Amino acid sequence: MDATSIPESPPFLEVRNLTLQYTTPQYLVTATRDVGFRVARFDRLILLGPSGCGKSTILKAVGGFIKPAGGEIRLQGKLVTKPGADRGMVFQEFDQLLPWKTALENIVFAVTSARRLPRRQALEEAREWLHKVNLTAFANAYPHELSGGMKQRAAIARCLALNSPLILMDEPFASLDALSRSAMQEELLRLWEETRRTLIFVTHSIDEALILGTRIILFSPHPGQVRAEFTPARRNVGPGLRGYELRERIEHLLFQDRVDYAV
Amino acid sequence: MPFEAKRPALRSEAGDPGGDAAASACALWLNNEYTLAEAGRLPELQVHLSLVDRLRQVTAVRKGCVVLLLALLWQAYAVLLDNDLMFPTFSAALLALYDALVQGELLRAVGTSLRVLAAAYAVGVVAAGLLTVFALTSRFGSDLLETCTGMFNLLPAIALLPLALLWFGLGYPSIMFVIVHSVTWPMTLNIYSGFTGVSKTLRMVGRNYALSPPAFLFKILIPAALPQILTGLKVGWAFSWRTLIASELVFGVSSGSGGIGWFIYEKKNQLDIPSVFAGLIMIIVIGLLVENLLFNVLEGKTIRKWGMQS
Repeated sequence: MDATSIPESPPFLEVRNLTLQYTTPQYLVTATRDVGFRVARFDRLILLGPSGCGKSTILKAVGGFIKPAGGEIRLQGKLVTKPGADRGMVFQEFDQLLPWKTALENIVFAVTSARRLPRRQALEEAREWLHKVNLTAFANAYPHELSGGMKQRAAIARCLALNSPLILMDEPFASLDALSRSAMQEELLRLWEETRRTLIFVTHSIDEALILGTRIILFSPHPGQVRAEFTPARRNVGPGLRGYELRERIEHLLFQDRVDYAV
Repeated sequence: MPFEAKRPALRSEAGDPGGDAAASACALWLNNEYTLAEAGRLPELQVHLSLVDRLRQVTAVRKGCVVLLLALLWQAYAVLLDNDLMFPTFSAALLALYDALVQGELLRAVGTSLRVLAAAYAVGVVAAGLLTVFALTSRFGSDLLETCTGMFNLLPAIALLPLALLWFGLGYPSIMFVIVHSVTWPMTLNIYSGFTGVSKTLRMVGRNYALSPPAFLFKILIPAALPQILTGLKVGWAFSWRTLIASELVFGVSSGSGGIGWFIYEKKNQLDIPSVFAGLIMIIVIGLLVENLLFNVLEGKTIRKWGMQS
């Protein structure tokens, strides 16, 4: 062994040979088989694919909510075995905010319980985060008094307030109307510039993937496997040829797979 | 066609010699403007209702009228019947209620009843809570809970009175036993279904923050299940209140201090029938107070404020 060789530092997140299964009353279903990918720091990785391709399941496994049947997930070299605040999660469902707490108190709760900060400091940070997502006026509103977009903004603020190095988002804009969705996408990119985290974002919308991602992994369904990987052009290029080409290729691949998941 | 008429009107304004057609179109345009402005002044968006109309919107007022009507019917029938022993008048019952309250006899009885009830209710709620927590921690626990609630929920508390009598003798320990039984099972059923119904998303949020099991229970599960927990508390209250009165009627006396059921039973033996009715009215009043004031206020401050009431 050469003593002077520097061992390669582990990737920020590494998913290796990940096989995920779940049981229904009748079957043991394999959701994904032998999925592997790496995420570098400050990536915005998009997991893209049709419904049933296991992209959400993979995200939940990274979150530690599902135990892998095979393979492993390592975050900064450390094996992921259970959920933790180092992987903040934003869900699709509007009911992810605690309905018995105001928007502000939702963030305070996250900060005090996950980061164990004293309440006064947590309040200060929570106010700042609400300001960053333009919800200052709704700090004392309960979730049922907020619109769908506001709820998701509050949920994103709550997640960012955890200070997790890795953020996991499971189709957070899928239940929004088209106008709010594109506004939220812009807002997410703006927040990203300010906060600099690493993101894994699950979506089934090619548009959303092209707008948000620095990298896109396309999955094929039944069982979920990596189909292809893309690096889209930088977003300030706009809807140029590169984006158009990429969309064509993704659509082409999805079309090829269609036989598999039309059943 | 007012929309097409607009353009020539504007042109004639700019000094274009448009002729008669343009002039009349202009008049039409102005005319339209005039009616619009006028129309804006016409409808009042908010009109004050008269006092009578406003009172008719209040449910309590309407229901109060129904109660008044029933009382009048009672009074009229009793006067017609003219048999104080079988069916005293409403006014006689009210008078008896007043007397019993002033003498303190009825209040003492109510106090005795409520003390027993509170103790048994507390035991029932704690038992339900423990059972539920046990059910959440193991599969055996949940099987046990589901089987037990499925069986014992069907058993009316009064049916246990003979056994209670055998085990605990005459008096309040027996009553406690049957009330605890009447509270525990419906409470357990509601709390448990509330906990199992907590959304997957909320659970994952709690796990995301790596909450300890007690924190998860108190900060996520209990508030999220509060609507069902409150329903359980209400059902438990209703069951226990009925069970209490019924079992007191059967054997509710120990060392001379009886509850409200005993009050009724005793008055019947003394042929003081107006006081029997007074006791019944008291039971209704307490029931209404607890259900409409206590639980309503509790719900208003929690689940209704949070938009969680289904």
